[in-house]
Amino acid sequence: MNTLFALIALMIFPGGLFVLFAGLVYEWADRKLVAQFQNRIGPRVFQPLADVIKLLAKEEVVPVGVNGFLFMALPIAALAATLTAALYVPVVGLAPAYSFRGDLIVTIYLLSVLTLCIGVAGANTADRFSLIGATRTLTQVFSYEAPFMLAMLGPAIMAGSWQISEINAYAASKPWLIIPQVIGFLVALVGLMGKLELPPFDAPEAETEIVAGAMTEYSGRGYAIFRIAKDVELVIGLTLVAAFYLGGIGNPLEFLLKTVVLLLVTAGLQSLFARLRIDQTVGMWWRVGALLALLNLLVLVGLRMLGWLGVWL
Amino acid sequence: MENSLPAPWQKALDQIKTWARINSPWAIHYNSGSCNGCDIEILATITPRYDLERFGIKLQGSPRHADVLICTGPVTRQSRDRLRRIYDQMPDPKFVVAVGSCGISGGAFHGCYNIVGSISEVIPVDVYVPGCPPRPEAIIFGVAQLLESLKK
Repeated sequence: MNTLFALIALMIFPGGLFVLFAGLVYEWADRKLVAQFQNRIGPRVFQPLADVIKLLAKEEVVPVGVNGFLFMALPIAALAATLTAALYVPVVGLAPAYSFRGDLIVTIYLLSVLTLCIGVAGANTADRFSLIGATRTLTQVFSYEAPFMLAMLGPAIMAGSWQISEINAYAASKPWLIIPQVIGFLVALVGLMGKLELPPFDAPEAETEIVAGAMTEYSGRGYAIFRIAKDVELVIGLTLVAAFYLGGIGNPLEFLLKTVVLLLVTAGLQSLFARLRIDQTVGMWWRVGALLALLNLLVLVGLRMLGWLGVWL
Repeated sequence: MENSLPAPWQKALDQIKTWARINSPWAIHYNSGSCNGCDIEILATITPRYDLERFGIKLQGSPRHADVLICTGPVTRQSRDRLRRIYDQMPDPKFVVAVGSCGISGGAFHGCYNIVGSISEVIPVDVYVPGCPPRPEAIIFGVAQLLESLKK
């Protein structure tokens, strides 16, 4: 029975198929919102599905000069990592399928595997655009990853636990954590946009400069799988931020409302800002983002050590 | 494509593939020597006013991601090899839309010493969009005709 449960959790719900389709729906919602902000009608509901099926059905070109095994394996590794991360977060407001002490750290690392895979995939090909894209992707990882992690640790320290389900329960029992930790929320949300390489952090895949960045040489199946992995990461990231800062996720309705509100904010930011240069991205994150997140965290740690956390907040 | 599945399943799979292809044509734009008039019209076509994302049409940077090559202008001797190479870089199935009179016959540049000729002399063309330059509506109509022909 146990293996059956594990298989269902991995393949259908909450991992596997369910997050996959949820990811496609969220990608559609994101594109539709951006289109509405730009005064357009936007794509149809099934657009991401049609894109993915078309890419899966296309010929896959394996360019000369790549390591064939890596070329094939990297997209699968990326998708596997993001789908595994789905097991540890409260998708749809249900308790996570698996939970242990410290799963917050594991989840954040699993989410980084996707970016790492994209970087390695770009460096694997001999094409100069992929190489530049890979360098930019990996540079950007170093800029947003630390602030994002610090921002995620804020609620963890307040809850006194590193377990996502416990932090979720803590956030639900208190006033929304966005109120005492505005900085943490902002850094987490903008860090999520950096993770997903959404504008204004899309320098790694800047179409106008470097064709498609690290993904330039991928066609067909590999590109489709990378796209799906990114969509899944969007859902998981939104779930994490909503669970930590917007008062936890207890039921499906809450999940839907809170993640869509977050999506609305990110779509607005996407259409508001133009693309940052890679040095501007790094500068902004380390001069502003990391410092603010660190300050936020230090204040929380100080309050906790003085024992005032429960009294004030 | 190899036919490894039983016939009804293969048919259903083919239908799904065709549906996806019709609903998600990603384009790449190449100027093989035109005067830039058609290119400006193509850029106007992908502005919010005409909003091609309604049909799932997206302009891609990389030929590896594209299904439709939107090509403008006569082919100059310089750009013949590049056009050929971009076409070869695109994964199957791929389609070509020639935009503008020059792409059809050489247009105003017909007979020039530096012109190879029309686009169809270098790569197979599926749809021609006449005009000098064609309006954005005409370009959308041309792509829609291409998608229409895919249904058969």
